[in-house]
Amino acid sequence: MIEQLGQNVIKTIGNTGRFSRFAWAAHGTMARTLFKPKTYPRILTQMYAIGVLSVPVVMATGAFVGMILALQSYDQLAHMGLEERMGVLINKAVIRELGPVLAAIMLAGRVGGALTAELGTMNVTEQISAVESMGTDPIRYLVAPRVLACLLLTPLLIIYADLVGILGGFVVSVFQLKINAGAYWSYSASGVEMWDITTGILKGFFFGGAIATISCYKGFNCREGAQGVGEACTEAFVGSFMMILVLNYIFTVVFDAIYKSFWTVKPLL
Amino acid sequence: MTRKSVQSDDGILVTRHLTKRYNGGVVLDNISLAIEEGKTTVIIGPSGCGKTVFMKHLIALERPTAGKVFFQGKRIDDLDEQQLAKIRTKYGFCFQMSALFDSLTVYENITFPARQHYRITNDKALDEMVKQKLALVGMDGFQNYYPASLSGGQKKRVALARAIALNPEIILYDEPTTGLDPITSDVINELVMKLKEEMQATSVVVTHDMKSAYKVGDRIVMLHNGRIIADGDAEFIRHHPHDVVQQFIHGRVGEAELAALRLGGTRFETQFTPEDFK
Ligand SMILES: Nc1ncnc2c1ncn2[C@@H]1O[C@H](COP(=O)(O)OP(=O)(O)OP(=O)(O)O)[C@@H](O)[C@H]1O
Ligand SMILES: [Mg+2]
Repeated sequence: MIEQLGQNVIKTIGNTGRFSRFAWAAHGTMARTLFKPKTYPRILTQMYAIGVLSVPVVMATGAFVGMILALQSYDQLAHMGLEERMGVLINKAVIRELGPVLAAIMLAGRVGGALTAELGTMNVTEQISAVESMGTDPIRYLVAPRVLACLLLTPLLIIYADLVGILGGFVVSVFQLKINAGAYWSYSASGVEMWDITTGILKGFFFGGAIATISCYKGFNCREGAQGVGEACTEAFVGSFMMILVLNYIFTVVFDAIYKSFWTVKPLL
Repeated sequence: MTRKSVQSDDGILVTRHLTKRYNGGVVLDNISLAIEEGKTTVIIGPSGCGKTVFMKHLIALERPTAGKVFFQGKRIDDLDEQQLAKIRTKYGFCFQMSALFDSLTVYENITFPARQHYRITNDKALDEMVKQKLALVGMDGFQNYYPASLSGGQKKRVALARAIALNPEIILYDEPTTGLDPITSDVINELVMKLKEEMQATSVVVTHDMKSAYKVGDRIVMLHNGRIIADGDAEFIRHHPHDVVQQFIHGRVGEAELAALRLGGTRFETQFTPEDFK
């Protein structure tokens, strides 16, 4: 029992160490590839696969989040006769938390799964060893462009999700629940601050980086065979999902602390 | 057989007391071998005896559990990836399972190492290079195919063309002729010899095919249970006194294996009929 526990602890520490080294190498090489025009075509290919093709699903996610928030909050607020203030609630929730988190989770499934499966298959068919054997660093060739594309595009996709979420909330509130459009917007505008938007988008960089790093790591370290690739995909998704939730919690705490300490200079933000 | 201990500069590639274990199972057991420059060394041995694992140590794709690997007198098994990258451009490695990049065409596969290491401005010259290398393995005209639409033997030949794309000093072939027809096999044998003569390339060839081992090998090394049990030229191996060696080169089954087959008397124990499971 205790032996088992000890072994698990050692294994976890070992894995964490290996993951940290992988993440460090990936981000280091990524920063360097930024200055090498030769790699731009590969980055663009990845951006297309990761970013452009994700737009529809991310927009759909955003739209439904906004719409469902409108339906849910209406009942609560109508009790107190506050239904005209719905806009603040919906838009703040969408922009600060739900838009970024749900868009990131959507990407963890769509993009992370594909990355792990692709790199995992390359690993079990020795293609990654082949890259290495020809004197090319597989992290630079395979991982860096993927992490970079994911890191740069997740914030953009979050903006899409936010916009459509706001629109979805608005459509349901105004056309279905018959709330005055002017009141809806003016309360929203007074409630949502620039700070909310900035933090929401800022999170995107970290979510994107985390998704790509975890997925690539799992692909690089997957076990042999079709089952190994399948397991790696599952682990990558669960890992990214957890990481997104944990990061989101940390950021909310940190950003709130920053916000409160800069409260006096708020008009400048 | 007594053997003088191998020194790090006895050959272009040297392993000293190389040992590799996977989760406790010993695959390579204290192998000391010096591979001479400009010669072709053939490694033979039964399936699963660790030939591929040994080859991967020569290019540091696998790290030893114990022991050292030297390339041109310098230790390589403890280098980091960046330092290895420079050294590996002098190698060509032809994988047993080809390991072609399946998202790239044959053309892109072969130009991969060139594009990675050089600034290519003259695309014509590159086309010419690809054409020439593919012609060597009889695959010219397949430039725009994807690996998925090639047969196993064709993939192997493209992998060979990719391995020699940068005119490496040292070429490691992992079973280059397995799965090829006799004529294409011989073309590959000729190719190995041609590369040796024209470019003074050092080759290490893993094979089960004794015909090609005798033909291309300046020296033949036999691995068995992770150890070297025979080491010498073709003549020496042909007349080697060891039973295991004789059985291997003549493709004869050993007494022990036969005894296992005979266990069940006249009827094989494994000859079950579906009724037995009712
Ligand atoms: N990554 C690994 N993890 C665990 N065991 C391994 C690994 N790679 C190889 N082995 C073991 O090492 C032994 C030797 O494998 P290797 O691939 O070198 O055989 P081989 O001599 O090339 O055989 P073949 O002629 O069939 O290709 C096998 O028993 C295999 O189980
Ligand atoms: Mg092998």
